[in-house]
Amino acid sequence: MAGGRFSLDLARPSRQHWLGYILLAPAVLLIAAIIVYPLIVSIDLSFQNVGIARLDQPRRPFTTGNYERLFASPDFWNACWVTLKLILVVTSACFLLGLGTALLVNNRFKGRSVARLLVAMPWAVPEVIAVVIFAWIFDSSFGLMNWIFLSLGLIDKTINWFSDPNAAFAVVATTMIWKGYPFVSIMSLAGLQSIPEDYYAAARVDGANALQRLRYITLPCLMPVIGVTTVLVMLWIFRDFSIIYVLTGGGPLKATQTLSIMTYEQAFSFFRMGYASAIGVVTLVICVIAAKLTMRRAPDNL
Amino acid sequence: MRQSLATRIFLYASVILTCAMLIFPIYWLVVTALSQPDQLRQLPPKFWPDEPRWSVFGKILEERPIFLWLGNSALAAMGAVTISMVVSVLAGYSLSRFRVRGGQSLGLFILTAKMLPATLLVIPLFGIFRMTGLIGSMWSIILAHATLIIPFTTWMLKGYFDTIPRELEQAAMVDGCSPWGALYRVILPVSAPGLAATALYGFVLSWSDYAYARTFLTNAQGNWTANLGITTMKGEYISNWADISAASILVALPILAIYLFLERYLVGGLTAGSDK
Amino acid sequence: MAQIVIDQVRKSYGALHVLKDFSLDIADGEFVVLVGPSGCGKSTMLKILAGLAEASSGTIRIGGRDVTDLAPGDRDIAMVFQNYALYPHLTVASNMGFGLKMRGTPAEVIDRRVKEAARILDVEHLLERRPRQLSGGQRQRVALGRAIVREPAAFLMDEPLSNLDAKLRSICVPRSERSIKGLA
Repeated sequence: MAGGRFSLDLARPSRQHWLGYILLAPAVLLIAAIIVYPLIVSIDLSFQNVGIARLDQPRRPFTTGNYERLFASPDFWNACWVTLKLILVVTSACFLLGLGTALLVNNRFKGRSVARLLVAMPWAVPEVIAVVIFAWIFDSSFGLMNWIFLSLGLIDKTINWFSDPNAAFAVVATTMIWKGYPFVSIMSLAGLQSIPEDYYAAARVDGANALQRLRYITLPCLMPVIGVTTVLVMLWIFRDFSIIYVLTGGGPLKATQTLSIMTYEQAFSFFRMGYASAIGVVTLVICVIAAKLTMRRAPDNL
Repeated sequence: MRQSLATRIFLYASVILTCAMLIFPIYWLVVTALSQPDQLRQLPPKFWPDEPRWSVFGKILEERPIFLWLGNSALAAMGAVTISMVVSVLAGYSLSRFRVRGGQSLGLFILTAKMLPATLLVIPLFGIFRMTGLIGSMWSIILAHATLIIPFTTWMLKGYFDTIPRELEQAAMVDGCSPWGALYRVILPVSAPGLAATALYGFVLSWSDYAYARTFLTNAQGNWTANLGITTMKGEYISNWADISAASILVALPILAIYLFLERYLVGGLTAGSDK
Repeated sequence: MAQIVIDQVRKSYGALHVLKDFSLDIADGEFVVLVGPSGCGKSTMLKILAGLAEASSGTIRIGGRDVTDLAPGDRDIAMVFQNYALYPHLTVASNMGFGLKMRGTPAEVIDRRVKEAARILDVEHLLERRPRQLSGGQRQRVALGRAIVREPAAFLMDEPLSNLDAKLRSICVPRSERSIKGLA
């Protein structure tokens, strides 16, 4: 009997649940220090008229000026619009391309694992490298894209991809789609492989052809996976910084300035960190609301 | 399932065409790297350079501290992943096995943390690191990367531990292990594939960061990560595309290698716990 | 083998009362089977006996000792789980010897006892295999062996035969009983 000793014996039935708390402690402490605390500081900053954040100096007076300013600012609404456009375009394209490639690669053929590998490879390419690739392809003088378009007769004059607002948006969207679809592909493939063969067998017995099987079995079974994946892609686009910042910097004329880019620019180019924090906080709130709306089910799967 | 010849031809054609189109940008990067610079300023573009300049890689390695950059990225990743994994394994296990008061709130918070834009967190972290003198040191990005990684790895590990039956720890405890012993001697060895996949994912997350590196390390050239280094090669108006492509290939190689060799574990880790 | 005394054990989850003043005396060497419909609390009682769950009130005595708040490993019991819970990363021999190893038993003793139990259960030829290489019936025997090797005061078995088909079950029930009684 282990009497007499100060019993921290976590194997005892009465103490077993303590282990749950102890195991969580490091995570809670670390998260509190590097995520929760900065988040609180962030919110705090958003209510101050602060240029460069100097945390060791006394707080500036509380003001809602940053928020008033941002809601009245046409740049903010432009950023919202750009973000929305990007989300719609990139998410739908990623969804189509991702699901399409997954359906393709799900068939049985020789070299299937190689195809699977290749199809998802852009995921492994660092975003900055993807930018290098597409910046060169869309180079206005000697890039491949202009040459292809000219040769095909689609245009008669080279497009200056980076000085035309719509063109720049297209370049950003293309790069993001290329980087984004593999994730949808991988998740869809996993989802496809978890659909029991029996369903298809039953459908075939019932006389369904390939298209009908796709519509009535594959897609409905994939819905949960697609739902989760779409939300994750959406969140990625909201948050992305590397691709847009390095590709266009948010320009030209703020045509590609998403909320994320605007936040960063205000903080580190114009040194208005209070204002920037306000934009960031609003972005986070929009993110959370958008995610909740799109995920009507409980966020267990997220 | 028997496929007709026409179906098979169509299938193979689609696969080859699709793969070719999707991988083409990577191929183009290689072509560009190997081209003579003046070749790149001529049209029409060649789909394989006449005289591939294999020496460009040696040249780039001399001109730019690529290995230093890669080393820094690796250091940051290893530091961040180590910290994150230790914390996440414990937390993920706890969330999986115990009904802790506040466990659900923690779960929800972690969910929200995944939605945090780096561009928001970078501002207060900048202030904090400035105050503690960490700007420019590797610790700033190690900690910053941990903020990226922990929300994902905790969730992934919880999902993974959920797939391991509780009876295993129970058997171990009946056999005389303390709960720690059960975790260390039984659960961890059994979880090795899931742990590896999660750590790998964390590694990729850290490697792909640019925002934090740019903000905290710009003035500390010796600590530049690979992503940061590459962006400094891209000029405002004119870039030496052959050189920057070559540098890009070198920088992308480690991650691509990890991906090619370990793809099945990565994918397994990504989808674990999410296809219920 | 020892006497087990379950005295007025209660288990509640909030307003849900799973066990209400359950009491049972089990004599030394007695073979007791708890039967009942699903959800009646059999597994819960077994877990409380094993120390894997906490009783809301009541006491448990094994071999005259009050083990109510003792760790599972300190109660001198062995358990066979419904899904066998064999350690996938260990060989059959290591699986069976794990409990003894945790108690610091010398290697030769472990080796001897494992071989003895393996002989009784006819799994000697499987000692170097991993659980995933075994059939259901073989796993059941290894799980039993893991429990037997410990020579505990009490054996607990949580539906150890429900995973077997009828034919195997008709073989295993008498065999298990014999093996366990053989040790008493």
